[in-house]
Amino acid sequence: MNKIHKKIWTLTTVILLIMAAIWITLTYYNQKTQNQYNDILQRYLRMNEVTRTSQQMIADLNNYFITPIPENLDKLNTSKEKMIKVRSEVSYLRNSENDFALTNYMNLIDSLVETTDRSLLFFKEKETEDSAKEFSEATRISMYISEMTLTLVDSELNTYERFYRGIIEQSEEIKKLGIWLMLMITCLLMFLTYGFSLSITKPVQKLTKAANDLSRGRFHLPIKVDSNDEIAFLAQTFDRMRVNINNLISEIQHKAQLEHELQESKLLLKESQLLNLQSQINPHFLFNTLNTLSKKAYLEGSLETSDLLVSVAGLLRYNLKRLDRPVTLGEEVMVLQQYMDIQKARFTDRLHLKMSIDETCLNVDIPGLTLQPIIENAVNYAVEPREDGGKIWFRIQDGNDCVIIEVEDDGPGIEELKIKQILQGQFIQKDGNSTGIGFTNVVRRLRLFYGSDDVMSIESSAAGTKVVMKIPKDRRGAA
Amino acid sequence: MRKTGILIFCLTCIVLGYFTFTLYKKAFTSERDLPAASDGQEVKYRLVLITQELETPFWDKAGIAAREQARKNGASLEVWGSYGKNQEEFLKKLEIAIQSKVDGIIVQGLDTKEFKDLAKIKAAFYGIPIITVANDVPKSESLRKTYVGSDQYLAGQLIAEQLLDDMGHEGKVILMGDKHKEYYQQQRLDGIHEVLKDYPNIQTVYAETTDVREEIIAATQNMLNQNPDTDSFVAIKANIAGAMIHEIGRRSLVEPYYIYSFDDGPDSISLLTQGKLDGIIEQSPEKMGSLSAELILKWLKDEEVPLKSDGYLTDIRILKALEKK
Repeated sequence: MNKIHKKIWTLTTVILLIMAAIWITLTYYNQKTQNQYNDILQRYLRMNEVTRTSQQMIADLNNYFITPIPENLDKLNTSKEKMIKVRSEVSYLRNSENDFALTNYMNLIDSLVETTDRSLLFFKEKETEDSAKEFSEATRISMYISEMTLTLVDSELNTYERFYRGIIEQSEEIKKLGIWLMLMITCLLMFLTYGFSLSITKPVQKLTKAANDLSRGRFHLPIKVDSNDEIAFLAQTFDRMRVNINNLISEIQHKAQLEHELQESKLLLKESQLLNLQSQINPHFLFNTLNTLSKKAYLEGSLETSDLLVSVAGLLRYNLKRLDRPVTLGEEVMVLQQYMDIQKARFTDRLHLKMSIDETCLNVDIPGLTLQPIIENAVNYAVEPREDGGKIWFRIQDGNDCVIIEVEDDGPGIEELKIKQILQGQFIQKDGNSTGIGFTNVVRRLRLFYGSDDVMSIESSAAGTKVVMKIPKDRRGAA
Repeated sequence: MRKTGILIFCLTCIVLGYFTFTLYKKAFTSERDLPAASDGQEVKYRLVLITQELETPFWDKAGIAAREQARKNGASLEVWGSYGKNQEEFLKKLEIAIQSKVDGIIVQGLDTKEFKDLAKIKAAFYGIPIITVANDVPKSESLRKTYVGSDQYLAGQLIAEQLLDDMGHEGKVILMGDKHKEYYQQQRLDGIHEVLKDYPNIQTVYAETTDVREEIIAATQNMLNQNPDTDSFVAIKANIAGAMIHEIGRRSLVEPYYIYSFDDGPDSISLLTQGKLDGIIEQSPEKMGSLSAELILKWLKDEEVPLKSDGYLTDIRILKALEKK
């Protein structure tokens, strides 16, 4: 991962390198020019030194002649040595242009030294006249040397003129180059810095926007930052946080829904209890009355009536008791049979009930009073209105992980719209001859009980209606 | 927007880069080499040609020829000298040459004591050979190795013969020469006299002057006053001719006079082309230059020792105004 730290370092290093390169180049160039200047100056200084030394030598010689003491002789010798030294230095000034003149120059210096020596010799041998002659010659030579120095300097200027002008031009060019270079580097650095700052601020901006979105509650927008530094890492972490929050929220929503459903189921239960209570005043009274009637009928020898009355009483009791807790399918089936006994007594031959029950399935839990309203419904619609009666099939089958309960009749069928309403759990207007706890109530209770929508299906045609309930063997969800 | 920005930036960068690069190339690759240090090989002989009349056509030719000859032989030769017969400067140059210990000196002879002292004593002291060129100084007086130049005596004769041709065998001739009668002038004069002495009807008048223009004019005036019947002028020394003709021209027409001179003056050729001079002696400066350089080198290399002390004579011929025209 490319750290911001590293980025800053790289930028700084690049700038530093550019600066260093320029600095080195310019310094190198300056040094070179400086050296050239030094060389040139050295040339002139050397030539000038020749003139000065030669004059000094003549002056020393003269001094010695005026006051011939050893100190002056020493001085003379010193300047003579210096003259010889300077002569050897002058030889470095030789180039193709001044070859001839320089040789002459050096020879002149030689002549000067020789003449001085001669003059000195004559002086020592007291030949004053000769000495004076040589001295005057030496003076002349010294003058010639001065002149020649000027000539040499002159030719030097001529020879090097182009070179000097070159140096001047070059320094002008360097000045211009400096400006251009500065402009270019400024431009380049601005671009680099722009790109660099963008590479930092852009992800930060994205991150800020994402944070804004989150703070406004938009949790579904993914946070994506295309950068290769810590910001990207930050964004990833942030995104993970967003996903987590999102999950938490949906979980809470789910829980709230469950709560809501529970509430609803409770309300429904209350409703059914209320409905039940409404018919409780009479049922208790009826229940006792029915028992009395049953005993009376038995005593009077009417066994069938007695049984019927017992069935009605049993049914009534069941209805009163088993409303708010789950029962087994077996119990439900028993109640159903009692109910059907009554109905058979009512409809006699008009009602044909065929039951096929898989006994292994009877231990399944089921909310109370779920089968009876459906059968009642079938009886009400398929048997009661028809003079020649109707058939009702009741089947309990094992469907692997669930128990399939089918209630089929050969009635005129139910309207499509009504089926839809029933399955969607909408309350529909009740007919007068229902027991009260309606079809819809059953559907909703089953759904709440098993926590699944797929508990009931209704197939209906003109030839009959078939209600299929799938009761899971393993009950799950809330009670 | 962003794309335009980048495009503009790139363009700027390219332009700046281009300028910077070209300037960089210009600034750092400009050739500014110092003149090559001496190529090492010491020139074997250093020669100097010294004249009193630098930058006159005559001496330019001689100098160029001598330099060319020296170059061919691997020696270096420089032309030094003074302007306008400045003797002091000339002698100084000669002394510098001697003190500079050049290998050989080719010099325009000057018939003065100072010159002879320098040539005889100083140059001999340093063992430097001297060859006189164009104007000679007798060997006995200067210890010169040889002379390269015209036969001045013959030149005088040629002038005289030409005068006879033009003027006829009678008339009055004014010969104008330097007060300081140099050796070569004497020779010229001798040559003229040698021819004219056979013609008694020709009267010669010798006039002396110096190099100073006013004096030349004065001398000319004087001559014209004293000899109004003169027919001809001969400037023994070429430098005199200019001022002399100028003065004659002020008095009367120049054309009727027969005026002759030599070609080693600064204005000789131009006077001839203007028709003011009727004839001049044309010498061979190129030959003098090259031959003198060649001879001194031969002497230095011991190829031709000794050199002819009489000198090596170069061609002369008379150049008439008509030819030039």
